[in-house]
Amino acid sequence: MRNYEDDFALDDLLSPAHQARLLELLGKLSGASFALNAHDDGASRPLEFNLDTLGWLKAELPAEQHQAAVRLYELVLFYAGKYRLAANLHHDATEASYLELQQKHAAVQASEEKYKQLAQRLTQQVEEQVRVIKKAQQELYESARLRAVGQLAAGIAHEINTPIGFIGSNLRVANDYLDELEASLPDSHETAMLFEDFHALLDESSSGTKRIARIVSDLKTFSNIDQADFAACDINALITTACRLIQAEQNQVLPLSLRLGELPEVAGYPAKLSQAFYNVLDNATKSLEAGGQIRVASRVQDNALEVLIEDEGCGMPDDILARAFEPFFTTRDVGAGSGLGLSVTRDILVAHRGEVRMESRLGEGTCVTLRIPVN
Amino acid sequence: MATYSSSENKLVLKIVYYGPALSGKTTNLMQLHSQLRPQRKGELMALETRDDRTLFFDMLPIGLRSEGGLDLRVKLYTVPGQVQHDSTRKAVLSRADGAIFVADSQLNQQDNNAFAFDNLAANLQKLGMDIEQLPLAVQFNKRDRQDAIEEHKLRARWSSTPWAPLTLASALNGQGVVESFRQLLGRLYPAVDAEFALARDHAIDSQAFIQNLSATGGPSNA
Repeated sequence: MRNYEDDFALDDLLSPAHQARLLELLGKLSGASFALNAHDDGASRPLEFNLDTLGWLKAELPAEQHQAAVRLYELVLFYAGKYRLAANLHHDATEASYLELQQKHAAVQASEEKYKQLAQRLTQQVEEQVRVIKKAQQELYESARLRAVGQLAAGIAHEINTPIGFIGSNLRVANDYLDELEASLPDSHETAMLFEDFHALLDESSSGTKRIARIVSDLKTFSNIDQADFAACDINALITTACRLIQAEQNQVLPLSLRLGELPEVAGYPAKLSQAFYNVLDNATKSLEAGGQIRVASRVQDNALEVLIEDEGCGMPDDILARAFEPFFTTRDVGAGSGLGLSVTRDILVAHRGEVRMESRLGEGTCVTLRIPVN
Repeated sequence: MATYSSSENKLVLKIVYYGPALSGKTTNLMQLHSQLRPQRKGELMALETRDDRTLFFDMLPIGLRSEGGLDLRVKLYTVPGQVQHDSTRKAVLSRADGAIFVADSQLNQQDNNAFAFDNLAANLQKLGMDIEQLPLAVQFNKRDRQDAIEEHKLRARWSSTPWAPLTLASALNGQGVVESFRQLLGRLYPAVDAEFALARDHAIDSQAFIQNLSATGGPSNA
């Protein structure tokens, strides 16, 4: 492409047809014939444009007329040149503007894309934050509820503990008195019946108070009344103890298999962790009415200690599973369970920055995973 | 960017008159056209005006021929000063070897001067040139006006720039125009000599360069 400031050749300024027409017109005006040459042949005069000689005009004419023809030709070239320069400049300027426009367009597109991505990222962040807030709200709600329940439980436990203590003690003494009373009365069938019944009543009441005492103890744990010492815990040892305890309680050898992996010690409250394992084991034991095994395993997984307690018991449906961790929720007969076992277990694990997961299938069994992070 | 054609032994330089609207760029060129008697001088080409305002550009070709046969041409261009013609201004400015910035001395035009000077710097940058590197003369025109800003203030203001000393002109009266042109030629010569060895190869020293291109009076060889 020729730049607008390039010097022009004759053909750039006037097309060959126009050159011929110009010569023809000059010829008609002067009556002589004109020719345009590229070089001086002695009888020609130079045609100049912007200090350049573009050609040589030859004519059989007197000098003055010949000169006038050259000037006329140059005038035409001057105006043709002006047009050509303006056109070339216009072309250059337009092209440069278009290029600039394209660059700006590309920049705008790039920035639009950037903002689009930014918007997407922001939306994601907002959604993420909303999720976090919802979760925090839920946790706050639950913890507030648990705190209220805890305070209530602590109050009740405290109030019940003393009377249940002297009721239990009085019942034992009453039993002793009953023995003395029976020995001092004459032996008769009716009396014997009466005393037997009386003993049974007192024993039943006594076991009732024991049960109340146990529930109170659960409540205490649940409401954090007893602050056991924080210490390094050997989880496998705690599991083993809990298994022994549960067998002693049940007064029988349970179908229980242990598969304990090598675990690092973790800092925690050993008594509470034992309680947690005990509670889960207790549930597993009670689910085994129709037989089956309990498998207990421990391992390190994903930077956390895992204790898996799996039973082949009755399992539970999803609606029960969903409420299993609620305080005071129980499926057992009134008096047979406080409904605090799993709730306490979860609180203990949370206090150790851990968690409890539970999976269950009705009729197939339940698997509880207790996770405690290691660091 | 000077273009040299070895087949024709021809060197073409480009000088652009830049500045705010109505500062007198075209008047400068017209005065040069009538005052200069360089070795060779072409027609002043005024391209498209509307209401006497430059629409495209004006162009005046001058030239000299060295004893060794170098055909040296200098093309003097003006840009349209009006703000809206920026793309034309940029196209005219492209490949310039030197520039003369024609500022308006009137007090109320100082903002326009500053804007146009920034525009010159910006357009040079877009064209891959640096205003600090380009041979540039700054002329304050319209010294004849009543409200022209005082000379000592102007000189003080520009004293610490690479473009001091300024030239002062009253182009309408033909004053200072040739002086500005000569100052620019003086600043242009070292750059052209460095690239094309004018002194060594063509026996054109700075004085001959300035003198032959900006001679006034006396018979012209054109």
